[in-house]
Amino acid sequence: MTLAIILVIAAALGLALLLWTTFSRSLSISGDASLAGQIQPIDIAAFRNLVDPAEDAYLRRRLPASELRVVRRERLRAMLVYVQTAGRNAAVLTSMAQNALASTDAETVEAARQLVSNAALLRSNATVALFRIRVAMVWPTSGVAHAPVLLGYERTYEQLSGSAMLLGRLKNPAAPVRIAAS
Amino acid sequence: MLQAHSFFWHYLWTAPNVYLLLLAFMSWKRGFRKQLPVFIAFAIFSALGQLAVYFADILPSVSAENFWRVDWASVLIESLLKFALIAEIFAHVFDPYASVAKLGKLLIRGVGASLVLAAALAAAYAPKDSPYGLINGAHLLEQTIYLIETGLLLFIFLFSAYFRLRPERPIFGIALGLAISACVHLATWAVAANVGLPAAKRVILDFVNMGTYHICVLIWCYYLLVQNIRTKPPKPPAMGPPPVGPFKEDLEDWNQELERLIHR
Repeated sequence: MTLAIILVIAAALGLALLLWTTFSRSLSISGDASLAGQIQPIDIAAFRNLVDPAEDAYLRRRLPASELRVVRRERLRAMLVYVQTAGRNAAVLTSMAQNALASTDAETVEAARQLVSNAALLRSNATVALFRIRVAMVWPTSGVAHAPVLLGYERTYEQLSGSAMLLGRLKNPAAPVRIAAS
Repeated sequence: MLQAHSFFWHYLWTAPNVYLLLLAFMSWKRGFRKQLPVFIAFAIFSALGQLAVYFADILPSVSAENFWRVDWASVLIESLLKFALIAEIFAHVFDPYASVAKLGKLLIRGVGASLVLAAALAAAYAPKDSPYGLINGAHLLEQTIYLIETGLLLFIFLFSAYFRLRPERPIFGIALGLAISACVHLATWAVAANVGLPAAKRVILDFVNMGTYHICVLIWCYYLLVQNIRTKPPKPPAMGPPPVGPFKEDLEDWNQELERLIHR
């Protein structure tokens, strides 16, 4: 009887989750203009500075341990905001690229496919990076946040920015999409 | 009305399977045979299997033991085709995007292995609901299959929603129908296999299963046969000169960068 109750609850939750994803999918389908408005440009140079191990080593040399922890937490908080914004931008770009997949122009479709792939890569990297940053916030003197995923992150974002601009130019040469502030 | 061998009971058992056969035929005619070969095979064999079980039930010449043998064969063939169909859905949703497909394949293998383990444990701890092994086994087999199927389909839905991937309309419709059917059947078979219900109450579960299956067949018909206005190609945007020259070089640059990132 207990097993039956567990399985029935699991099935009901599964059905609710399924209907929720279906309805949110149909609600999220919107035009490129409204989607482009959701993009928040990111200053990649500032982000690169935040994740630079040399900067971190310099702070480690110059500051006492207690002060270093405070400064590191502040830097990690800033990093968190950057990565969250980049992850959100990647999701918006995926939606825009999916709209472009319906185009009749083969080059636009190929650019859209490339953009979805880049955006998905960035989104999965963002998830791992956010987890590492949160762990590092608990233990700020560790080097967890400076793992290869995070160091390669800004490069992935630049690639995504390039793909987005390419697709924007192919769809509308007058108004390319910008996701990087520098 | 909610009794075995009532008109409604006969309708719910036969009509969805007839519709499914018609859907398979019309999908074939519309050129889906290249895009969705497993779905067409699933539609044909699943419908024929269910109709075979139906005739085994109503024909007096078929013994109870032979009815359950037919049921076992039908469930086994249908479940093999269902898992092949899930693989087909996964390929359609994720394969066009290399980075997601790689991660998705890795994760779905882990999810699949965990679900098999959970289903085996659920079957091992289930009480015997019938003194006949053939009946008891059939109920547990249904519970096991629907548990794994529900988990795999939910994973596909959640994983694609996380990356905001929108599958093509027919693929989405097939996955939606299959997932709704799997969730409801999991609940009903869990009750059938673990709670010793009297025959009169068990019929209600049959009606729930058959009614859900009917709705799912209608969902498949809608998504495969009715053209959505939104999926029609939009009017080409007002574009300037054709995108050649520096645009093409840009794309090559980005491709090189991406390959360097992947092989780093």
